[in-house]
Amino acid sequence: MPGPTTLRRRTSLASVFGILILVAATLSGCTSAPQTPPGMFSFYLGEPQRPLVPGNTTESEGSKIISAVWTPLVTFDVKSRAVTYDGAAQSVTSADNVRWTIKLKPGWTFHDGTPVTAESYVKAWNYTALSTNAQGGSYFFSNIAGYDALQAEDGGKPAATRMSGLHAADPTTIEVTLSAPFAIYPVTLGYSAFDPLPEFFYTDPVAFGKKPVGQGPFQSATEWVPGHGMTLTRYDDYAGKDKAKSRGVVMRMYTELSTGYTDVLAGNLDILKNLPPDAYASAKDVFKDRYLGQPSPDITTLGFPMYDPRYSDVRVRRALSMAIDREAIVDAIFLGTRVAADSFAPPTVVGYRENACGQWCEYRPDEAKRLLAEANFDTSQPVEIWFNAGAGHDGWMTAVGNMFRKIGLTYRLRGNLQFNEFLSKRDAKEMTGPFRLAWIMDYPSIENFLATQYATAALPPAGSNTTFYSNPAFDAALAAGNRARDIADANKAYQRAEDILVNDLPGAPIFYGMDQTVWGKRVSNVHYDIRNDVVLEDVIVDGQAV
Amino acid sequence: MTRFVLRRLLLTIPVLIGASLLIYAMVYALPGDPVRALAGDRPLSPAVQAQIRAEFNLDDPFPVQYAKYIWGLLHGDFGQDFSGRPVLEIIGQRLPVTVKLTIVAVFFEALFGIAAGILASLRRNSFFDNLVLISTTLLVSIPVFVLGFLAQFVFGFKLGWFPIAGVADGWVSYLLPGLVLASLSMAYVARLTRTAMLEAFSADYIRTARAKGVGRSRIVMRHAFRNSLIPVVTFIGADIGSLLGGAIVTESVFNLPGLGRAIFDAVRSQQGPVVVGIVTLMVFFYIFFNLVVDVLYAVIDPRIRYD
Amino acid sequence: MTEPAGVEAEELVGQSSVWADAWKYLRTNPLFLIGLTVMVVMVAMALFPSVFALGADPTDCDLSMSRRPPSAEHWFGMDLQGCDYYANVIYGARTSVAIGVLTVIGVLVIGVLVGSLAGYFGGWADTVLARITDVFFGIPLFLGALVLLTVSAQRSVWTVSLALVVFGWMTAMRLVRSSVVSIRGADYVLAAQALGASSGRILVRHILPNALAPVLIYATIAVGTFISAEAALTYLGIGLQAPEISWGLQINVAQSLIGSSPHLLFFPALFLSVTVLGFILLGDALRDALDPKRR
Repeated sequence: MPGPTTLRRRTSLASVFGILILVAATLSGCTSAPQTPPGMFSFYLGEPQRPLVPGNTTESEGSKIISAVWTPLVTFDVKSRAVTYDGAAQSVTSADNVRWTIKLKPGWTFHDGTPVTAESYVKAWNYTALSTNAQGGSYFFSNIAGYDALQAEDGGKPAATRMSGLHAADPTTIEVTLSAPFAIYPVTLGYSAFDPLPEFFYTDPVAFGKKPVGQGPFQSATEWVPGHGMTLTRYDDYAGKDKAKSRGVVMRMYTELSTGYTDVLAGNLDILKNLPPDAYASAKDVFKDRYLGQPSPDITTLGFPMYDPRYSDVRVRRALSMAIDREAIVDAIFLGTRVAADSFAPPTVVGYRENACGQWCEYRPDEAKRLLAEANFDTSQPVEIWFNAGAGHDGWMTAVGNMFRKIGLTYRLRGNLQFNEFLSKRDAKEMTGPFRLAWIMDYPSIENFLATQYATAALPPAGSNTTFYSNPAFDAALAAGNRARDIADANKAYQRAEDILVNDLPGAPIFYGMDQTVWGKRVSNVHYDIRNDVVLEDVIVDGQAV
Repeated sequence: MTRFVLRRLLLTIPVLIGASLLIYAMVYALPGDPVRALAGDRPLSPAVQAQIRAEFNLDDPFPVQYAKYIWGLLHGDFGQDFSGRPVLEIIGQRLPVTVKLTIVAVFFEALFGIAAGILASLRRNSFFDNLVLISTTLLVSIPVFVLGFLAQFVFGFKLGWFPIAGVADGWVSYLLPGLVLASLSMAYVARLTRTAMLEAFSADYIRTARAKGVGRSRIVMRHAFRNSLIPVVTFIGADIGSLLGGAIVTESVFNLPGLGRAIFDAVRSQQGPVVVGIVTLMVFFYIFFNLVVDVLYAVIDPRIRYD
Repeated sequence: MTEPAGVEAEELVGQSSVWADAWKYLRTNPLFLIGLTVMVVMVAMALFPSVFALGADPTDCDLSMSRRPPSAEHWFGMDLQGCDYYANVIYGARTSVAIGVLTVIGVLVIGVLVGSLAGYFGGWADTVLARITDVFFGIPLFLGALVLLTVSAQRSVWTVSLALVVFGWMTAMRLVRSSVVSIRGADYVLAAQALGASSGRILVRHILPNALAPVLIYATIAVGTFISAEAALTYLGIGLQAPEISWGLQINVAQSLIGSSPHLLFFPALFLSVTVLGFILLGDALRDALDPKRR
């Protein structure tokens, strides 16, 4: 029989452990990831950054949910990129490219049963445009007359809450008056910021942001739980062209692509879009016909700080651009999962011309050396290359640096900045050398790649023109395109604008992306829409369309 | 002893306040504009930016921001993240995952680490001892993110012994991540135990026990082991705290939505209230577990007195 | 007035000091000698990399040779950028070993100082120091390192080591404190106190040699951990960066290419393992040498 001290010690020990276990047990809650019920499939998703409201979602992950729960106004033919009217709108017409009439298809309902009317759109657009609502998609409405009145000035209140150029003529007609002619306006309406909102949204936006209510082929069955995901089920009363062919989709949140890839291999995850680097080369052989790889509508550019005297000579910019062997980077660093860029817009948009960039995007290191000497570039100072850390850009940036070394320069990588800091420095003209610039398509027009990054109107803080390039001739060419009679004429003008860009080279286009998707044996009929997003409503589970 | 414990608990409050101030200052010191980053490469209209900044007091100077935060705290409002989700809700959802992972990891590290250490000390310089040495070396040399992906691929996918990712399978989901997380600490625990046991073996009281004819296992367990516990318990106590606060990589690899990942994302997006809320909780855990460890010292070694 | 009698007595007893004895033991211990050899080789590699690399230039890169496997002319193959991997791994020793050693020295210095003060004096000193330690424990490494590295505005061996030291000294402190706390009631300490020795003397001559064993074991393993930690920092986006050369950077790149180019992971990991092994053996032998009961 142990003595009293031992007994006391044992009791204290036991009680300590007991308390610890009790604490642990009470703290252990009960959450689990959504399982995949029969007839449904699972889809890889990263963490959405904003509440799930169409006017507030401008990043890629939240967009995937938004595009499943809503159907946009217009759709696009995947091959020709032309606007088709298989969405919520019947037609979008204008006589003068300033006043537009959007006719909606009748009989659409939100997932809560309430009808979709023109007022649903008008009210939603005004809400998004009003600056005090702090919606990220606000700038999409900046071309509507009366938008400026909805922007608060320096801590004051906005002058109005409804844009003067927007109103609902009748329950199925929206009338939009733009502040300037814009020939390709219908093309822009395919973006999710233009989706309608039900009345329920205005009563509780926070709850709505977790469990959105749209009018698309899928409806929210559960809330979005951060770190876990959400479940969407088929909306049986969908009024659109294609009802969902499955019972629903489980959006499962992951933080690591490699983990997702392993899960697809094991059959736990059904569809994975975007592959980890290790799988770039092997995925096609492993998945065979359950693999889809297509060029994606995005571009990565090496921007030049036009405000820095060192890079103000166009010969320097041309030289640096010619020093880069784009094919080698695509092959070695990306194993062929990128496409070397030869123009300021990717091949997947209307208005792209092959080899628009011409000689400046070709690999000509000797010519580069010659031009640098001609321009008296100071080779004693290193070229500083800027990018954000932790996002996988080190590889190709180092390769670019090494290529600069081959033409007699030294380089320093400035890739230590977190994304926030990088964005701030870029906006504040603090780049001391070439920097990473990337753009993903909003709508399939070359204008989207030119105006947003290089127009004077897009100078920060209003826009994303972080090279601070400003050329009246370029702006005039863009405006001519906006004023054109039709889309074809507009594109010709936009191409003339691109020619100006090629001549001035404020940035050196490096590569376009590629979207690779793999899927498991349970699902089939996986294909992309124009944004290279998987068309979720067409996915068939276990060979049986519902 | 009770006075000791009570005094410690009372001191917790000023420490937490100091810690929260320090963390808030650190997040404030991070460069970059968190509001601008909300839109990424896309533009965010200046009016909207101004609106968000006003909502989250981001235009205020640091003392004002902190004061507003404390004011909210006194009303039970721990703040929100940029999406409007209350910090308490975030903690409430993520804490159980982290706790479970920590329990599993500590269990493995204590069990395997101590057992390996004891056995290695008993068979000094034998094959087993050298095996422990080599495994220690390997576990330390392979960074956790390499180990995590390797383990996941081999044991989760190829062999199918464990779930690959996610929390869907209850406690089983935490086995492989717990093992991976514990692997580095196991190395420390094993070697600390081995060393301490070896030291204990050459002590006088062991010789006395042997001379008295006490059985080997009894010597090992009752005498040598007890006295070698102090450094091991210290290390495990310190480890529990660090596991609770920062298993970023393991959580990412195995898709466990815990606090580590939450802190990482919040720091990257410069969301002060989230970081402060979670980290203050972490500091509280540290204080608590270090108190437990200090109490355990007195339990293990009667020579140790506190008052 | 002559020195107090106690000190004189102590001098006589302390003639064959703990440290001299230790050296005598170590000189002939095979494990210590292996560890020492590894250390010497690694340090030499760090100081004279061009000799070990046989003149190969780690920055002479050709993208078309990217990720070639090991061959006769390139023993370790080529890395992602098409640079000779053997040269890179050799040159990587300098940075990585430096980070490991600098960090451990820093951690030991702070840990021993704070831990022994807290453990020996107890009371308010212990309370204040231990609570400060708790706060540091609570600061996530990611946040702390990010702030520190941002404020210092550059990523070098020194700043990365500093970040690891500032946010990693706490476990060493706890280990030292726990040892000191358990030893301070020992007979020989009481005897020294009775003889009138000063606190400093007691700490350095009597307590520390016996208390250091656990923290030394920790430190020898920690060298390897800190070198790996540098890799983890890079993985999180807050570590060293190209064109610096370190095993951590190499392991980072290699990790995303394990399936297609395993040689990229194998070689730096091998060198890292050997270094870790060397330090562990060294530490074990040192601990044995300092063990008073060995004699």
